[in-house]
Amino acid sequence: MNSLERVKAAIAFAPVDRTPAVPQLFGHAAVLAGMALEDYLRDGERLARCQIEAYRHYGHDMVFAFMDFSVETEALGSLLQYRADQYPDVASYVLTPERDVSALAVPDPAVAGRMPELLRAASILRREAGDEAPVAGCVLGPMTLATQLLGIETALYLAVDDPARFENVLDFAVEVAVRYGLAQIGAGVHLPIVFDPAASPAVVPPQFFRERLLPRLKKVFAAYRAAGALANWLNITGPTAPILPWYPEAGADIANFDYYVDAAEAQKLLPATCLDGNLKSLSFVDASPAEIAAAAGALVAAFAGRGGFLLSSGCEIPLEAKPENVAALVSAARAGT
Amino acid sequence: MDKLVETLLQGDHVGALSEARRLLALGIAPERIVTDGMETAMRRLDDKCTVESFNLLEIMLAGRAVSAVVNELYPEGAPPAQGRATFVIASLEGDIHDLGKNVTRMVLIGKGYRVVDLGKDCPVETLVNAAEREHADAVLVSGLITPVIPQVRKLRPALAARGLDGIKVVAGGAALKQATAEELNVDYVAETAFDGARYLEQLARRKTE
Repeated sequence: MNSLERVKAAIAFAPVDRTPAVPQLFGHAAVLAGMALEDYLRDGERLARCQIEAYRHYGHDMVFAFMDFSVETEALGSLLQYRADQYPDVASYVLTPERDVSALAVPDPAVAGRMPELLRAASILRREAGDEAPVAGCVLGPMTLATQLLGIETALYLAVDDPARFENVLDFAVEVAVRYGLAQIGAGVHLPIVFDPAASPAVVPPQFFRERLLPRLKKVFAAYRAAGALANWLNITGPTAPILPWYPEAGADIANFDYYVDAAEAQKLLPATCLDGNLKSLSFVDASPAEIAAAAGALVAAFAGRGGFLLSSGCEIPLEAKPENVAALVSAARAGT
Repeated sequence: MDKLVETLLQGDHVGALSEARRLLALGIAPERIVTDGMETAMRRLDDKCTVESFNLLEIMLAGRAVSAVVNELYPEGAPPAQGRATFVIASLEGDIHDLGKNVTRMVLIGKGYRVVDLGKDCPVETLVNAAEREHADAVLVSGLITPVIPQVRKLRPALAARGLDGIKVVAGGAALKQATAEELNVDYVAETAFDGARYLEQLARRKTE
């Protein structure tokens, strides 16, 4: 099996030759290649080259057209502060308590901000690796985009103080996610991952997720499915156990689970959904390869009788991760079944 | 006082402010409003917010209501004179995220402590200077990103170099709480703002005993 066949089989709960290794390996690819992160994040070709180099180096099972969580908000007019070796942060949000979302138009991914560079990365990755490995894109979920447009404190207060106005922001975020995700599929990604960390129960109560976010995630995933996405992947970090059972209704085929949720609980909550997780991100910086191998091996064993599993970190592999630890994860997947 | 507690728990900052004004007009001392109102609300919120059900939205709403009441009780910005411990809090240099820090500050103020907030992207030396100047009982650092960890590890040696070994160091935040206290070279790693507050309460109790 090549990586694409292996991941497809895992998603379908079909037999695999070994557990797919899918570390959430984004900006670490730049560090591995010795490239300044800012250059990687601004140039789709460089991003694609680094991803392919990391893929050849580690031998994992997916490449990622992923920049950072500020691409959409920058394309909509927020000002970012770039740093040489860290992800950019929003210095000035495009929406304020006084500025309504009706002032914004859904950005055209072909021309807005860094979106065209992301699409360029997706095209290159599909052309150069897409026959053997799945190419994943990246879209912000509605709640996280709302927080990136307003700032998280303003967004959360608005959600309570003026729910109707906040719902308008969420609806707009859905439009952005659909258009940007479809553009990524058009450019060659097999699946755009929907990242929505602000939808985590660590940020908003599960009821908020069910009532206000779930219906909107359904719209996003329905659009991706109709456009031919290989699968729908919902990536929310933190203590997600209370909301995991709702993922199938959202239309998710792959559910990320973080280190807060153990493998047995995740399997129980989502018996028919492919899971990815859940090694602690920080362990890739601090632990030894032997420790990573042991934790990864235990995960592979925990899913051996079930299938439907992508061995991964629960969140992003940190930029400064030790390469030997990423390699240990991949080796553990190869050593298992 | 029950109504003040209820409005604080509901995160109703307008209602809490109105209730605090009513209590002040009745001649109730600000210190009693803090002790019987805000601290009671914070204790109940603490009970409700287990690790599983702690969420930023509810805490921030309660925190906003607490801030509104504190500003009304102490319009000159004077800290609550409860004789309680003093804490210095910051996000360290390299980390410009401050939501976790702000939430922790609000919880501690709600519990009647004096909190000196040094903001975000704060150098270790600035934090140590402030801890010395303010006679802090503990310094608290929140970190959302892993590259800030080397800064955290420098804190205890930097305090010790000034003879401030007695000042405890508490870490929290999404990145830092993945590590142990030993790995970070701190005294305690808080899972949530309330978890950190419980540790600090024990510390403050030991100080007064």
